[in-house]
Amino acid sequence: MSETTKRGADVKVSTPPQTAAQEFDWKLARKWINRILFWIMILVIAFAMLFPFYWAFNTSLKTENQIINDQSRPFPAEPTGQNYEIIFDDADFMRSLFNSALVSSITVLIALVVGSFAAYALGRVRFRGRTIMLYVVLAMTMFPQISILAGLFEIVRELDVFGSTLSLMATYPIFTLPFTVWVLTSFFQGLPREIEQSALVDGATPFQTFYLILLPLTLPALVTTGLLAFIAAWNEYLFALTFTVVDPEAQTVPVAIALFSGTVARQEPVAEIAAATVVVTVPLVILVVIFQRQIIGGLTAGAVKG
Amino acid sequence: MQSMAPPIKGNDRIILRVIGVFLILLGIGAIGLLQFSIVTNEEILDAIVIQRAEEVNLDIEEDLLEAEAEAAGEDAAVADTSNPQSDSVLLAFLDNFGIALPVITLALGLAITYLGVLLLQRGISAARWTQVALIWLCVGTALLIIVSFVNGGEVQVSERETEWQIGEAIASALPFAILLVPLYLSLRWINLKLQNREIFIGEENISSAESRVAWNLLIPTLFILVLVAIRPLEETFITSLTDKTFASGASEINFIGFDNYERLFNITPEVVDCRIDDETGECRERPDGSFAWQYEENGETENIRPETRVITLPFDETQGLALIAEENRFVEAIENTLRFTFISVFLELVLGMIIALIVNAEFAGRGLMRAVMLVPWAIPTVVSARLWDTMLRDNSSGVFNAFLTEFGIIASPISWLTDPTYQLPALIAVDVWKTTPFMALLLLAGLQLLPKDIYEAADVDGASKVRQFFSITLPLLRPTIAVALVFRTLDALRIFDLFNVLVTDTNSLATFNHEVLIFGQREAGFAAAIGVVIFLMILVFTVFYVRLFGVQTE
Repeated sequence: MSETTKRGADVKVSTPPQTAAQEFDWKLARKWINRILFWIMILVIAFAMLFPFYWAFNTSLKTENQIINDQSRPFPAEPTGQNYEIIFDDADFMRSLFNSALVSSITVLIALVVGSFAAYALGRVRFRGRTIMLYVVLAMTMFPQISILAGLFEIVRELDVFGSTLSLMATYPIFTLPFTVWVLTSFFQGLPREIEQSALVDGATPFQTFYLILLPLTLPALVTTGLLAFIAAWNEYLFALTFTVVDPEAQTVPVAIALFSGTVARQEPVAEIAAATVVVTVPLVILVVIFQRQIIGGLTAGAVKG
Repeated sequence: MQSMAPPIKGNDRIILRVIGVFLILLGIGAIGLLQFSIVTNEEILDAIVIQRAEEVNLDIEEDLLEAEAEAAGEDAAVADTSNPQSDSVLLAFLDNFGIALPVITLALGLAITYLGVLLLQRGISAARWTQVALIWLCVGTALLIIVSFVNGGEVQVSERETEWQIGEAIASALPFAILLVPLYLSLRWINLKLQNREIFIGEENISSAESRVAWNLLIPTLFILVLVAIRPLEETFITSLTDKTFASGASEINFIGFDNYERLFNITPEVVDCRIDDETGECRERPDGSFAWQYEENGETENIRPETRVITLPFDETQGLALIAEENRFVEAIENTLRFTFISVFLELVLGMIIALIVNAEFAGRGLMRAVMLVPWAIPTVVSARLWDTMLRDNSSGVFNAFLTEFGIIASPISWLTDPTYQLPALIAVDVWKTTPFMALLLLAGLQLLPKDIYEAADVDGASKVRQFFSITLPLLRPTIAVALVFRTLDALRIFDLFNVLVTDTNSLATFNHEVLIFGQREAGFAAAIGVVIFLMILVFTVFYVRLFGVQTE
């Protein structure tokens, strides 16, 4: 740096036009340094976020021996698929995948059908008590599930659904429904008012306007909200652990992963756990990459506009 | 009005009367059914029997006492009239029915009865509300058909096995199916009559029509929210006032008032001194390196138990503030939860802001970067916790220790998740890793809504980037930051997954609640009290935030 300034000072006296060129050079260098620093930061952030998943993938391709001998090697010496074979042969784990898919789908279906009704009422119709209902829904989205665990535990036992996936389908609406209503309400509010007015002029009933005209318009929003609710239900752990811990047949993926101890009783099967986490992670990552824009839109509609 | 009503045909008159009377009977029937199920409830009957028996006993005891007192020539002794079991009938009622459901049933029953009366007077509003009621009755009955078809078909074949039989299933669903037919027919009839503008009189104004539509659409949501949120919350509160346990061979439930809460908050702060070692003249240490504490009371020296939380005073190392509590685990759980919440949310906000500012720049691959940032959020916490669990081990699978020792940063592997010194920092680190990208995405969305021209003007004025951030970005971003903070704080306060998966002996409030409910004596009453405390704590934080930032719903 000092060299350039010296040379610049030397030249300054004789040929002024070159000074501009020198100064420009210096600016360009700074720009490039900034750009390189920027990309280094981007790469560091991306690395920090993805490293655990990369490491799980790396570990899942190793044998137990390789893990003991050189775990810090960033690539497996001889990749093996045996851990995945074990995982896909594990009936309990596969059943947990099925349970999670079933529970999440049904919960999302209920939330979307029931939630879109409520969201239409809150987003499009002016009526007394609307503000209070909005507050109730907002409060419900922040409802701490843990605080009603004991009461829900009793009710689930009384209803005789303890230890079955039914107990999860019945309790998951507590977090999927208010969230769905809240996000869909903001979507409904965003649609232009003229739509219903013209429909009403044409003689459609409010309910017809809702399901023939507005619902098709909000289809993208329904997909987004459904996806978010699905991820929330898929990831739920507290209720799943509490209500299905007695019955391995009803366990969902998070519980299965948390309690995963391998097929054979021996030392902790690190490679198999890694393989199981990869199996669970990959579909979610694909979903997130495809629907990235919609998910962020839905999340911010739920949070920022709140 | 009645005199001006259009004439009504014989058939329609009969159908209208039938529907009206049906609604009245339905309303009265609902209330009657509620009353019937209360008076025939076995637990309530038992409680009444016990109470009667005790009253008789008490009477006898009182008589005896009075007789004794008279015999002794003293004033009649004031007998202790407070009966420990007198609350048991109320408790049995609350335990079985709660408050919300009976109140709602009562209100709905009265409303439907009233609706039936109005319908007989042929009001148009009443007819439209009847339409709403009939729609939901049809939906409800249809659901009942499905449920009873699935449930009723289960026949106990042997002691352990059940078999599903189609005949039984149909038999149990049939009554509801038969009920559905007249409901549906009357719905169709009312629809037809309303369309043709026959029979019903009067006009409905637009605002009441709109509010009818709105409430009609809100009914299923309200119904589900009452079932999954209000009812359990109420049940939790009621249970928290009892000594209910789920331990095998549990005895009867007793109403114990706020004893569970007293047990939680029975915390006495006490200034304590460390025990001086006679030989060295310094504080004596326990094997784990902590001091042994004691305090003087009435000239006697009391030792502080090792599990008691003692905060060393900042100005004098030999003195500390001991929190002598009945439930040391609760004190520990609260401390862990609050420390976890404050530190992790603060770090997430700062790091999230930095990341959001970086990613806010225009660059190729920003969409991909946002997708990358979503990944830690989308993966179940349990899964990422399990990943970190293996990575943080101090054995061969722990890659962190492998790297750190290889580069010579630490001499020997650290057991991050079992060493008490590193447990909370490790948990905070994992949480920060998982939720910082999410925080950054929320802030990024806020950043992108900010008007660009302000920054251009600031550039022209020569304001530095740092100055721009503090004078423009931060104030404008305040609402977004507020909402992100609210969501993150409330999430962190109820943290369960990380503590449950990663550590065994360190509790957050949520894992403490879960542990009390599931393990050991399975004290449901005590667990419920912890749940109520968490609920109130989160409520306080919410109100605080709303006041502080003025979060608005519209």
